[in-house]
Amino acid sequence: MQGKRVVKPENKIPEIPQSVFLFRSCTGSLEYPGTENAVRETLRILGIEVVMDPDQTCCSGYLLTCSAHKPEVSLAVTARNLALVEGKNLDTYTFCNGCYGYLSELSHILLHNPAYLNMANDLVAQWGYHYEGRTKIFHVQEMWYRLRDRIADQVVRPLNGLKVGVHYGCHYLAKQYGILDDGGYPTFHEELIELMGGTPVFYKERQLCCGYAVGRGFTHREETVQPHLYKKFISAREAGVDLMTTVCPGCNVALDREQPNLNKRYSEDFKIAVIDLAQLIALTLGVPVQKLGFEANTVPLDDVLKKIGTEKGS
Amino acid sequence: MLREHFASAEDELIACILPREVRALPREKDRDRIENLYSKVDIYGLVENLENCLQCGKCTGICPVASLSPSYNPRQIIHDILNGSEKRWLESEEIWRCFWCASCYTLCPVDIFFPLLMMQIRYLALASRHGVKYFTPFKRFAQRAREDGLTFAPGSPKSRERIMKIRSSIGLSPWPEISDRAREQYKALFDLTGTTAFLESIREEEEKPLALTYLGGRITRAGKKGRQTGK
Repeated sequence: MQGKRVVKPENKIPEIPQSVFLFRSCTGSLEYPGTENAVRETLRILGIEVVMDPDQTCCSGYLLTCSAHKPEVSLAVTARNLALVEGKNLDTYTFCNGCYGYLSELSHILLHNPAYLNMANDLVAQWGYHYEGRTKIFHVQEMWYRLRDRIADQVVRPLNGLKVGVHYGCHYLAKQYGILDDGGYPTFHEELIELMGGTPVFYKERQLCCGYAVGRGFTHREETVQPHLYKKFISAREAGVDLMTTVCPGCNVALDREQPNLNKRYSEDFKIAVIDLAQLIALTLGVPVQKLGFEANTVPLDDVLKKIGTEKGS
Repeated sequence: MLREHFASAEDELIACILPREVRALPREKDRDRIENLYSKVDIYGLVENLENCLQCGKCTGICPVASLSPSYNPRQIIHDILNGSEKRWLESEEIWRCFWCASCYTLCPVDIFFPLLMMQIRYLALASRHGVKYFTPFKRFAQRAREDGLTFAPGSPKSRERIMKIRSSIGLSPWPEISDRAREQYKALFDLTGTTAFLESIREEEEKPLALTYLGGRITRAGKKGRQTGK
């Protein structure tokens, strides 16, 4: 495993902030509410105060990429949401690769083209918002890695060698510049898995995307998404993956919800549980299972919890 | 040897009699003949450097969709855009297959941000009412999101109840906390930016047929036991 990172986490997050603005993810709070809770609980245990705000709306990026929003609306929404965070003098932490990717890209467009910035700020000025670009955008996975020593110190439920196959998700890695790792062969999640007592599994199609982005899960599910995911699960099963982790609730939907459909179509028996990395960290840090919302998952976690020694409900 | 040969040739026999500074000859480009060719596609000016494309094909080599559906070929799409072969991509089934994983961008030697190109060529296809069937589901989602301030908030009481039950049981507020003010402002931005009108303007019944315009649109199908059984 490559121990060196392209961007040192200590350079990316020099000081551990006392509080962060947690950017609500629609999918992370509706499809898998346990993800939202796990992120909040984990940050709390690691000593970071979580600030959220009901005035924050959807990042509006997903439907933009599905061709169903004009870029103008997403640029204005980004300016509005980020101006809201700037009002609190905090940095923005997302727990969805989508929110991360869209906020980064849209704020990049705003901050590198005065015409777009003026257009967006003019639109949101009526409610007292003005975006300047002071809040930095992070994904909580960067914070997990920055605080890896704190996590390792506080593990109360080690993973007992559980074989974990990670899924990074494209919209973090595709950012390409300024991300922690080499997008072509990232390993920082595996390092975290090892620190928590798990066995990271490098399955062959580890970097294959979830296939659900830009709505192809709705429009091209049978045509391309399923054959695509089939390859991924064949390779994960061959490598003996017990549990798959994601850092994007959208990827989680694709990887978790599609398994019964793949089983039906290809006469297979895939049953690899898929949860958010934050849920796994929260679990090892001792957050009660009932607080992690695993009942939202399609593929049950019973076997995984048995292996870690935490039956459901304990 | 060779160096010496060229040095002497330059000096004597095949040297151009014009001075070096005035010898440049720009090659003919499509943009000379078709006005605003590039800006017609990069409507929002987000791609910037499409004309730097080397046609190396790395984008296609790494593309997970191209591996299943060889007729989807990002390299060829860029080639057609730069050539002005507009009809071919505009009316194609293939452009709707891209997953937007951006692997192509991570590998591109000249950093062409293909996903933002894809976004814009899909707008252009929609403008001519091609691919409406791939837009319609999201039209409904977008119209709902406009009301909710959230994407994918389920409409049916049963699904809402299920989410609220799970959220309450783990100690979260039953519904993601989003203020009425936030929802109103989100909605207003849809109206002010013309997104509401854009959504309404594209109607299902206006759909024009798409065609597999690249290599017959072959899809390879992963067979049982992981074997590839191409059709």
